[in-house]
Amino acid sequence: MDKKKSLDLIKLEVLGCISEKDGETLQAFKNEGEDFPWKELGDYQNVISMLPLTIEMKYPASDLKDKTAMKLYGIRDQIKAKIDARKAEEMPTEPIEEVSQTTEEIEIHEVASDNIPTEHIEIEENVFAEVEEGFSLNTEAALGKEEPARFSGKHKEKSNSESLFKQSEEVETREPVKAVIDKEAIEKITREFVKSHVDRELVSLRNNVNKNKMLSFILFAVALILIVVTFFLK
Amino acid sequence: MADTNSLTDAEIMLKVAGYDSKALEQLYDRFAPILYTLIKKIVTDKETAEEILSDVFVIVWRQIDQFDFKTNNVYTWLVTLARNKAIDVVNRRNDKILPEYNDEYEKEHILPKLSPEIPPLELRDVLGKKEKIVKALKSLTDAQKYVLELSYFGGMDQAEIAAKLNIPAVTVKSKLQVAFGKLMQKVSEA
Repeated sequence: MDKKKSLDLIKLEVLGCISEKDGETLQAFKNEGEDFPWKELGDYQNVISMLPLTIEMKYPASDLKDKTAMKLYGIRDQIKAKIDARKAEEMPTEPIEEVSQTTEEIEIHEVASDNIPTEHIEIEENVFAEVEEGFSLNTEAALGKEEPARFSGKHKEKSNSESLFKQSEEVETREPVKAVIDKEAIEKITREFVKSHVDRELVSLRNNVNKNKMLSFILFAVALILIVVTFFLK
Repeated sequence: MADTNSLTDAEIMLKVAGYDSKALEQLYDRFAPILYTLIKKIVTDKETAEEILSDVFVIVWRQIDQFDFKTNNVYTWLVTLARNKAIDVVNRRNDKILPEYNDEYEKEHILPKLSPEIPPLELRDVLGKKEKIVKALKSLTDAQKYVLELSYFGGMDQAEIAAKLNIPAVTVKSKLQVAFGKLMQKVSEA
C-alpha cells in the first residue's frame, strides 16, 4: 500500500469529495489493514470538523428544544424496542437455580458487556431513580396547582411508577443482572422530558390567566365606582 | 443527580447511551450553537436549519449505540453527523438522485465513520483552538480557501466544483489535496 496515496485519498474522503473510483481504492487500502494510516485519518477528521469555528456563530430559536422534545416523544416506541433488545442481550439465557451459579453468571455477564462502558449499568439504574424523582415532583406540583382530573392522572402514573420499581426489585432479587430496564421505563422518561417543557409553559400560561382575571376584576370595580359617582353627581 | 454542567462531553454521551433525557438536553444546550452555525451555513435558510438541527438530536437519540465509546470523540462525531445530514437535505432539495432515506441509508451515509484511532476532542478544547484554525485558514490562498469551502460547506463533489470553476476535475482533486495538506500543516505548526 502506498502511504502517500492513502493520505491523498483520505483528504478527499474527509472532505466528502472523493470519487467513486478513489473511494473503492481507499476502501481496499483500509481492508488491507495494518499499514493504513488510521491515526492520520483521525487527525484529518478532527481538523476538518473545526472549520465551523471559522464562521460567525449563529443561534437557533429558543423554542427549538421543545420541538425537538416533541419529536423525541414521537419515537418512543423505537427507543422502547431498542431497550428491550439491549435488555434481552444482557439477560442470562438460562434460569439460575443455585447460589454458586449466580456468581458465575455475574462474571459471564461482566465479560460479555466489555464493549459497554462501565458506568453504563449504573446509568441504567439511575433511569429508574429519575423516573421516580420526576413523578413525585410532578405530583407535588399537582397537589397545589392542577385540576383534579390531571392530578388523578398523575397519581395513576405514580402508582405505575411505584409498581415499576417494585417489579424491578423483584427481578433483581431473582436474577444476578445488576441493570434491568422495564420496557415501560423509556416511555415514561420520554414523557417526562416532554412534560418538563410543556409543564413550564402551562404554569406560565396559568399565571398569566390569573393575572388577567385579577386585572379584569379591578377594572370592573373601577368602572362600577365611576358609574355610581357619575350617577350621584347628576 | 449529578450536575451535568460539570461533565465532559464523553460523560454526557455515556448518560445519553443510558437513555437519560436530561443528558440529551444538556448535550443539546452545549452543542446546538456550533451545529446550528454549521447547518445554517450549508442550507442557508433558518427554518430548514432548525429542522435539521432537531433531526440531528433525534438521530443521536435513536442511533446512540453507533457511537464509539472507545475513541469517545463526541465533537467530531456530532459535527460530522450534522454536516452529513445537512448536505443530504440540500442534495435531496436539489433533486439529486439518492437512495431512499431509511435506517440503513442513515447508518451508511449519515452516521460518521470516524477512524478507530481518532484522538478524543471536547467542545471546550475545540473552542480554545479557534484562533489557531482561523490563522491556519488565513494562510491559504483565496483559491485554496474557495475549493475547501465549496467542498466542505457546499457539499459539492469534484465534478460539480470543476463545472462551477470551469477547470478539469483532476485539477480540482489536486487543489483540494494541496489546500487540505497545507491546512493540516499550518494547524500542526500553530
